[in-house]
Amino acid sequence: MSRDALRLARLSARGLARDLRAADVRALFVALALAVAASTMIGFFLDRLDRGLTRQAGQLLGGDLVLEQGRPFDAELRETLETAGLTLSDQVDMVSMVNLGDAFQPASLKVVDDAYPHYGTALVDRGDGPERIASGPSPGEAWLAPRLALLLEAEVGDRVRVGEAELEVAGVIEREPDQSAGFGNFNPRLMMHRADLEATDLVQDGSRVEFEILAAGPPEALEGLAPLLDRLRRDGVEVRDVRRDRPGLGNALERAERYLSLAGLAAVLLAGVAVAMATRRYVDRHLDTAALLRCFGATQGELSRLFGLQLLWLALAASVVGALLGLAGQAALLGLLTAFLPLELPPPGLLPLGLGVLTALAVLVGFAGPTLLRLKRVSALKVLRRELDPLPASAWLVLGVASAVFGALLWLYSGDAGLALGLLLGGLVMLAALWGLGSLLLAAVLRLAGRLPRRAGQADLAQALRLGGAQLARRRTASLGQLLAFSVTFFAMAMIALVRGDLLTTWQQQLPEDTPNHFAINIQPGERDAFEAALAGAADSRSALYPMVRGRITAINGGSPREAVPAEARGDNALRRELNLTWRETLPEGNRLVAGAWFDELPAAEAAGWYDEVAAEPEVERVPISMEDGLAERFGLALGDTLTFTIGADEIVGELTSLRNLDWDSFRPNFYVIFPPGVLERFGHSYITAFHLDAGERELQRRLGREFPGVTLLNVDAILGQVRDLLTQVTRAVELVLAFVLLAGVSVLYAALTASRPVRAHESGLLRVFGAGNRLLSRVQGAEFAILGLASGLMGALLAELAGAALYVAWLDLAPRPHPWLWLVLPLGGALLIGAIGHLLSRGLRRQAPAASLGLLGET
Amino acid sequence: MTHASRSETPPILHVDRLAKQVQSGDRRLTILSDLALTVFPGESVAILGQSGAGKSTLLGLLAGLDTASDGELELFGESLAALDEDGRARLRAGRVGFVFQNFQLLPTLTALENVLLPLELSPQAGAEARARDWLERVGLGERLTHLPKQLSGGEQQRVALARAFVTGAELVFADEPTGNLDPATGERIIDTLFALNREAGTTLVLVTHDHALARRCDRCLRLESGRLVEMRHEEVSA
Repeated sequence: MSRDALRLARLSARGLARDLRAADVRALFVALALAVAASTMIGFFLDRLDRGLTRQAGQLLGGDLVLEQGRPFDAELRETLETAGLTLSDQVDMVSMVNLGDAFQPASLKVVDDAYPHYGTALVDRGDGPERIASGPSPGEAWLAPRLALLLEAEVGDRVRVGEAELEVAGVIEREPDQSAGFGNFNPRLMMHRADLEATDLVQDGSRVEFEILAAGPPEALEGLAPLLDRLRRDGVEVRDVRRDRPGLGNALERAERYLSLAGLAAVLLAGVAVAMATRRYVDRHLDTAALLRCFGATQGELSRLFGLQLLWLALAASVVGALLGLAGQAALLGLLTAFLPLELPPPGLLPLGLGVLTALAVLVGFAGPTLLRLKRVSALKVLRRELDPLPASAWLVLGVASAVFGALLWLYSGDAGLALGLLLGGLVMLAALWGLGSLLLAAVLRLAGRLPRRAGQADLAQALRLGGAQLARRRTASLGQLLAFSVTFFAMAMIALVRGDLLTTWQQQLPEDTPNHFAINIQPGERDAFEAALAGAADSRSALYPMVRGRITAINGGSPREAVPAEARGDNALRRELNLTWRETLPEGNRLVAGAWFDELPAAEAAGWYDEVAAEPEVERVPISMEDGLAERFGLALGDTLTFTIGADEIVGELTSLRNLDWDSFRPNFYVIFPPGVLERFGHSYITAFHLDAGERELQRRLGREFPGVTLLNVDAILGQVRDLLTQVTRAVELVLAFVLLAGVSVLYAALTASRPVRAHESGLLRVFGAGNRLLSRVQGAEFAILGLASGLMGALLAELAGAALYVAWLDLAPRPHPWLWLVLPLGGALLIGAIGHLLSRGLRRQAPAASLGLLGET
Repeated sequence: MTHASRSETPPILHVDRLAKQVQSGDRRLTILSDLALTVFPGESVAILGQSGAGKSTLLGLLAGLDTASDGELELFGESLAALDEDGRARLRAGRVGFVFQNFQLLPTLTALENVLLPLELSPQAGAEARARDWLERVGLGERLTHLPKQLSGGEQQRVALARAFVTGAELVFADEPTGNLDPATGERIIDTLFALNREAGTTLVLVTHDHALARRCDRCLRLESGRLVEMRHEEVSA
């Protein structure tokens, strides 16, 4: 038995070696290598980019894992984290007065240790211009934010007082390595060393201090900590995990990753189509071999094993070549990118390699398997009666198996079974529709071709179109196959281009040029109009002014909030801290109502009830409130649920009457909870607004500082810049991957047209025999390819438009939109592309004598 | 090959009441009916017949490439009706050789590789030496590495002859072996075929409408209305 296996292995290897002379085997090899190259290249790249971006996100967050609570962490927890392989850095945040001589200013203290920062560098001006420093201030030193230095009129070398301690101003910190503080605290920063904390005597019972552990380590280390983190969340610790909480860039990054893996899948799909095309030719050519072997006494089983093994060798060889190409490709890709990538990427891992080989085998089985079964079914009698070919594999079987395998790959890559199944079923339905549409198109081409004018002696365009169209339409099955293959190819290429465009547009819309880069907070009601007037004309874009009242959620549906929300939300910031509440008559810009109705659409009687009376008798009414949908989801709340807010000494009960979706990446004031007007006015409040100032407008900044000393101006240019940088990097990656997919598409067309060459050679040979000249032949072939390209382009556009809409909603979380240009570019581009490749390929044929062309299809 | 030895040796091929019908549209066409044939080892038998008389169908049935509608067919003493497709294939392996009108060489294989093909199914030591040897016998010792398209029609058929005999087949079926060749080349092929046949002591069953070829066989049979009729050599006109 094993001798038998060895014999088959040898025989198949020898057969393959001989087979390498055939164009279809080479095409098969190229297609498989391409599939592996695509999936490993994108896999490697994505893997590295992902890890790099995670690291960058970790930098923004301050670590891969950040724990925060109002009291010090115990040693046991610290030990557990360290045992898991994480490096820890302790940090303490609080607000305190800082003074230099007579100048007093509240500052946001950030107390760091020697391990700070885990990632990145701080940009600090120590008197000789800004420099990058990969540590925090030394003991005895303080770094001041430019605004704090300005307000205190402090210079490097001065000594500032923090609590009971005196620290030397060692530098002005332009940019912190991590931006984890966000907007929670609006006071300017003072960064100091942990060693000085005790001397300040600021940490006392009852003082509001946040203790943080910033942990850095490999993903595996975090993976194992999931149960611990869940427990901590239930205990009210705020847990920020780099994999879940990527501040400010979550959506963009997620979409980019999804896009890249989508592009990888598109490349694999394209390679699959090429494999399917090449396999048809391979099988056609091997039917004779199979029949002869049957004649010589080979059994069906032996034939299956023989050809199966032959292709396995081919797939393995292609995998090796493809993986090497993929490795070289991603290195080249990164080489090209390093100039633009401030990111430091970790070395490639092994996982993508395994995935690449798996992909090659899956593509082979899925796209070639059913067609290969034909070889097994060949009758020995075919050696006597050539026409006795086994029935072609059922189109449905081929399609079914290919779809199932592609669906499995989709699942593997997206990790979303529902989506994979949905896309698959949708894809099958669409393919069935395309099949019908393709048949109709071909029939229409045949009819139209017949109606074109026939004027004797004029070798004009009409004649070429008539002959070319007729040739195409009469070769119905083969043409339909090509039509479908090319449609899917154009579809995949279009999808990748289209999603790329929309992705970039969305990003650009998300952060337009005039995205607010400054926040002004603590604007007193009395200053409101003057501040607005000062801004008018100077800032090129600004948000509305929102009143802001600080309030704490003290009950949910009448009970304790921590009991009412799901366990994992117990440590949520929104429960632990005061929330910024606002009131507003209209839905804020950039917010989208997803449930319930806005205040002005609530039943009139109810409205009358609270608008006027609540202010007088707040306790008697439930006030309608609008909540951000994400928070409602985290807290497990629905319309009709009530929340009790404690504001100052008062309590207000609100009932959820609407849920809003909003974009946290928008750099505009956003609010979890909005009240209707007439409720919060009586509480102490200030205003917040966001606006854009060009870098040159320092003067206005200073003027605002002078005229409104109580107003805090926050410059978020640095954060904005980081998010923009990231988008730029990802955009470049997306463009490069797009170029690769387009290239893969072109090579599929090339492979498919190469595979169909013998049939075309035979036809042009016949035309030559009947007296067609080179000019006519060239035009007829051109017309045929152009019609094929045009029809495929049309069908590809239809497919892309439909699939795009589904994909946007289901996967990329973008609103679907029509793409009229697709309907122009794809058919015309298709006609040109296929026309050009076809023309190139058939140039040799036209030079050939008809006998040689006919011989290509001859018996020997 | 004397008639005296026949009664003592079991036949290599025995056919009785063989029938083959095929469905053509809603009509059932009878191609062969009540056909009988017995071939003894070492014999050479020619089956003649008009175009469309069913010669190739008969050859396919005799070689076990196709199944009969009715009747008995024994090859090497085994009833083909009792065997499935794979069983019939195994029965042929190494024991049956074929020569086809259209040569049936694989275009991507060299002359040597084409001859090696049947040997590779049941590998024996020195397969390649044997294949070279047989190619030399048919006069193609210098053309081992040539692809079919680099060979003339006659040369291709000689490769096919080497391939038919290389396994040491006991029985060789030939389907119009000169059908695709000009008369002079056909003549040389016939010479080679019979020389190899004599050398190897093989049984030869060939289907042809080439009377010159038929006359060189021990027996000539004509396929007429679905049955075989024995002919005397002098009946086979030049």
